[in-house]
Amino acid sequence: MLTELLHGADTGGFLVIQDSTSCSGRHLLESFISAALNREEAVHVLGFDVSEEELTGGLKGSAIERLHFHNAYTDPLGWTDQPSLTLHQFCSEELSHLLKPTSHSKSTILVIDSLSWILRHVNPPAVCKTLHQLRKGGAVRAIIALLHADMHQRGTVGSVCHLASSVIKVAPGMKGDETVAKITKRSKSGKVVQDEEIFSIKEDLSVTVHSKRSQPGLKQTETEEQEADPTANLTFNLRLSDTEREAKEKLALPFVFSKEKKSALLHSGPGSGRILYEPDANDDYDQEDPDDDLDV
Amino acid sequence: MFTELNSILNTNPDSITPGEFILISDRQSDASFLIHHFLSFYLKARCKVCFLGLVQSFNHYHAVSQRLGVSLLQAKEKGQLVFLEGLSESLSVLIPQEDNAGSQAMDFLRDPAAGLKSLYEFVRSSLNSPDGAEDWGPPVLLVDDLSVLLSLGVSVGAVLDFSHYCRATVCSQLKGSMVMLTRCEGEEEEDEGDDEGSERLLKGLTHQCSLTLHVQGLPTGYCREIHGQVEVCWRRRPVAGQYTPKKLFQYKVHDKGASFFAPGTSSAVL
Repeated sequence: MLTELLHGADTGGFLVIQDSTSCSGRHLLESFISAALNREEAVHVLGFDVSEEELTGGLKGSAIERLHFHNAYTDPLGWTDQPSLTLHQFCSEELSHLLKPTSHSKSTILVIDSLSWILRHVNPPAVCKTLHQLRKGGAVRAIIALLHADMHQRGTVGSVCHLASSVIKVAPGMKGDETVAKITKRSKSGKVVQDEEIFSIKEDLSVTVHSKRSQPGLKQTETEEQEADPTANLTFNLRLSDTEREAKEKLALPFVFSKEKKSALLHSGPGSGRILYEPDANDDYDQEDPDDDLDV
Repeated sequence: MFTELNSILNTNPDSITPGEFILISDRQSDASFLIHHFLSFYLKARCKVCFLGLVQSFNHYHAVSQRLGVSLLQAKEKGQLVFLEGLSESLSVLIPQEDNAGSQAMDFLRDPAAGLKSLYEFVRSSLNSPDGAEDWGPPVLLVDDLSVLLSLGVSVGAVLDFSHYCRATVCSQLKGSMVMLTRCEGEEEEDEGDDEGSERLLKGLTHQCSLTLHVQGLPTGYCREIHGQVEVCWRRRPVAGQYTPKKLFQYKVHDKGASFFAPGTSSAVL
């Protein structure tokens, strides 16, 4: 599903990439930008979080000409004298004015890096309203936004994600460069599809999906159980064949008291030793209690 | 300057990565030894340094730096170091005296709601001004520590705005570096509902920075031979194949330096 989203989000789509401090979603955002540029689409970036050099560092080739970086990084609040783009311009009229220069509005993609910066200064209802107007206004084909989910209250994150047509939550994977993406996609018919995929991003910003897990966690535990079979590689035999079982049942165990054993013990054969005891005259032998002298 | 830490971070005073934003954080532990390291490191690298010392007096930093082989007093006289002594500056704002006007930097104390624009102006002007005689290397901003600003009544958002503006100016525009320390008081909390200010600040700064050094006490408790552990986390795009996003080290602070070693390999254990 991730590759599906990368290869052309549907028209009027709004994609949110949610990340946290433990796993940055910026690389995935850059992959989306690169994929859109490769599709010959014009990409407008509202850059709050990182500078233009940092964002476009991984992008190569002539496609960069179609990337329009609107610099809100150096001065988003108008502290210095020459702000190029400030937060106050984050309303649908101003933004559609910004996006006008590119004539093909059918293939314009707006990238917001990041929504967290805006949400920190503009109240959430206003942000949601602007996003909604942008989607319906027709100025852009799709919106892709990065959101640092752990910076905001859960309600704020929720209300933004309700607007979105697709949400990708990134989390660190098991191995080094792997990332887990939890994808929720709402189609226009109202159907909601959820999926979980493991992916990694190469240096040229191409995304490789390693495995698809429709039911997260379930498959993995199954394979783990199979691997953990303790009887798989034993050096000894756990089962008996029929002849072996017969032989085993024939064998008399040492603690079983059979008749032969009893008679052998009671009637000892000739040549064996025995104890003869003749009491001494001085012995105080009590007939009634022969064991009297034993101190028991 | 701790040479062991330099080799971990793969830097030395002769070759500094430009545009780095290093975030030092600690939780129930003390990471100020790292601030002293970076202060002496950048002074030795002949960088122009702006130091916002909000927790200790100048004499304290001077005394510690002397042990690490750097004289702050000399650096200040040469114009290499611009030192903002938060303690005395704030006093001159709170108890104004006629002969001492005080700088504009601590103006936020009068009105914390106004934000830290004045402090940012101070940083920008002190790192921007051409100091004529000597030509120093890339500018560096050090802050010890940001969470003090929260105690002074500044909101988390304002501190994040301040660090953002500093990053845009120092790291991106002037190709310098930035080191900031922030502290977290309580235990790590999973509940996102009622975040404390310092937690939100740490998260916000983590999203901005390029390298984090998180200092914690040992999870197993106090130990005389090992003072704690440092988690080093690179947040930039990995360089060609080398993917090492996180490393954990244990450390011991000595009189004149600190040693770092892999967990479980302390000389007291082996």
